Amino acid sequence: MGAVFPTIVYVLCFLTSACCAWLLGRSYRRSQVRLLMWSSICFGFLALNNLLLVLDLAVWPQPEVDLRLPRLLMAMAAVVSLLWGFIWDVEEE
Amino acid sequence: MTLYDFLSGAVAFGFFTCSLFLMRYWRRSRDELFLTFALAFVLLGVGQTILALANIPTEERGSIYLFRLAAFLLILFAIYRKNRAARN
Repeated sequence: MGAVFPTIVYVLCFLTSACCAWLLGRSYRRSQVRLLMWSSICFGFLALNNLLLVLDLAVWPQPEVDLRLPRLLMAMAAVVSLLWGFIWDVEEE
Repeated sequence: MTLYDFLSGAVAFGFFTCSLFLMRYWRRSRDELFLTFALAFVLLGVGQTILALANIPTEERGSIYLFRLAAFLLILFAIYRKNRAARN
């Protein structure tokens, strides 16, 4: 019962980040500002990270299935893609 | 365990670095969206740091998810404000 509230929070985080990825992707298609594309990719990975978190903590209890490594890798991919955009696209501007 | 620690630290550092870049964008453009996103990334970084340092095996027990909640609420708020400003 104690895990219900956190699960709701994680599901909301997943929905928010997925929504962000979609909105940023849409504005990239409209404006062609490259940074928006990188942000969209970043939020896509964050959404995956949140989805794995929900699966790890709420759907499959931890001792049997441990998704910590894929979760960390998704978070890593998120920050790396945003940093990549910041560093390379800022140079080109 | 070492791999988890290494990745946790790298991810936390990545969040903080992204937040610095966002702050630079905010300073240049004065667009509040960047500032709010920067704050959200700081919160995500803080949450990740505490998680790694406190060595909490299950995230839902440590109330650390509240950092994540605050970060994503900030992002939602920023997007809502931006959209409202764009319409007016």
